[in-house]
Amino acid sequence: MSSFMRRRPFSALLLVLLLALVGWVWHERVALMAFPDIISAYTAKEYCSCRYVMGNDTEYCLSYVKQWLPTSGFYDDVTNKRITVSGMGRTNRAAWIGERQGCRLNP
Amino acid sequence: MPKGLFLFFMLLLSLPAHAEDWPTEQWPTGPAITGPALQALEAYAFPPRDDTTRRGIRSDALLVIRDGQLIYERYAGPTNAQTPHLTWSISKSLMTTVLGVAYGDGRFRLQDPVAKFYPPMEKHPDLTMADLLHWASGIDWQEDYEYAPLKSSVVAMLYTRGRQDMAAFTADHDTYAAPGQAFRYSSGDSNLLSAALKTIVGPDRYADYPWTALFEPLGIRRAIWETDATGTFVASSYAYLTARDLARIGLLMARDGRWGDKQLLPKDWVAFNREPFIGYRANQDEAVPGGHWWLNRAAGGGARPWPDAPADTFAALGHWGQAMYVIPGANLVIVRYGDDRDGSYRHNELLRLALKAFAGSEQP
Repeated sequence: MSSFMRRRPFSALLLVLLLALVGWVWHERVALMAFPDIISAYTAKEYCSCRYVMGNDTEYCLSYVKQWLPTSGFYDDVTNKRITVSGMGRTNRAAWIGERQGCRLNP
Repeated sequence: MPKGLFLFFMLLLSLPAHAEDWPTEQWPTGPAITGPALQALEAYAFPPRDDTTRRGIRSDALLVIRDGQLIYERYAGPTNAQTPHLTWSISKSLMTTVLGVAYGDGRFRLQDPVAKFYPPMEKHPDLTMADLLHWASGIDWQEDYEYAPLKSSVVAMLYTRGRQDMAAFTADHDTYAAPGQAFRYSSGDSNLLSAALKTIVGPDRYADYPWTALFEPLGIRRAIWETDATGTFVASSYAYLTARDLARIGLLMARDGRWGDKQLLPKDWVAFNREPFIGYRANQDEAVPGGHWWLNRAAGGGARPWPDAPADTFAALGHWGQAMYVIPGANLVIVRYGDDRDGSYRHNELLRLALKAFAGSEQP
């Protein structure tokens, strides 16, 4: 090992970094698996509440939920007050439930 | 005694009842305030609003109640007097006020273990209701929103891993300290209170309880409180009220839990809300935690967080600049809704300017 490190110092360094990365990914695997859902879930839920609980207009609510991560496939089913949003390869939905209960994710 | 004098004394006796204003369907209004002090407040709270960059102070609503009368209100952006605005973490203090009614009915005690009402907390058997109200559960929670989304417990609770059952998600965390010892602000603690309330009042009454116990007695006709998939109110984040209706809760607190002639919250409950948590250390947060309300008290070796406001000021505070300040000594309740995205808004500055504009001669 030590002779390998002397002969190939850069490869050895890369190998150590790679192992550290793998270890970190394993350690944070639960959080990492959930992470891509954040942007679409956040956008669907907070848009739903902005539009159908607070009663603000569509243009304002679209700007209200804008974050630094991009979303795609935004769809507001106006009849059923149901919002579908995709982003980072995940899709989430939120819908308006009722006068007192407001909106909820994936109802 | 001459008849005129007798009537005069009777009038004096009846004065206190007439002197106290309360809202009915609407708030009674007081004399309109004008002048340079109000202009300075408005210049601070309502600068030109930039909806593209979302920079700077972006107030949605500012409303002031003095002596039970509405003396000022102004709205901006899409918000108006009829908008039930998202309160974010003001919801925590609202849930506490709902709990206060159940406490007044003798349904639980502050030293009761949470596990008595919420079995998943058997993992944390020594944790009491008071510890949760102090944000001192000792549960290893990370309360970051935008800046550390991967590690944020609150983002995971609201949007990903915890969203189906937020209390169970919280209970499943490990501990970092013994309960009741150390302050760490946690939205999870608030949702555990919400889950405990389900057993405290019974699952049949729970879904209507915030309305029957608190909103309806105060004349609040339109309130929204979103739940997770198990029906538990998201006490950490998702209550919506108009500014005028939130101020009703403020008046209830300003008058020590009394609404009209009814003591809706026991006085010792409000006293607990307003007592600094002894485990708090200076500068751990932007204000001093009491029982799920924020206090302007010198505590934990630090000075008052808002030096330009009286020491009896307390508040319910939420993300993106939501705030309700209660100043009992000045008979003031101030509701401020906003959409601040850059943290430039300062509670102390708003309070300083508002006190200048609205506090009477009794101002310290």
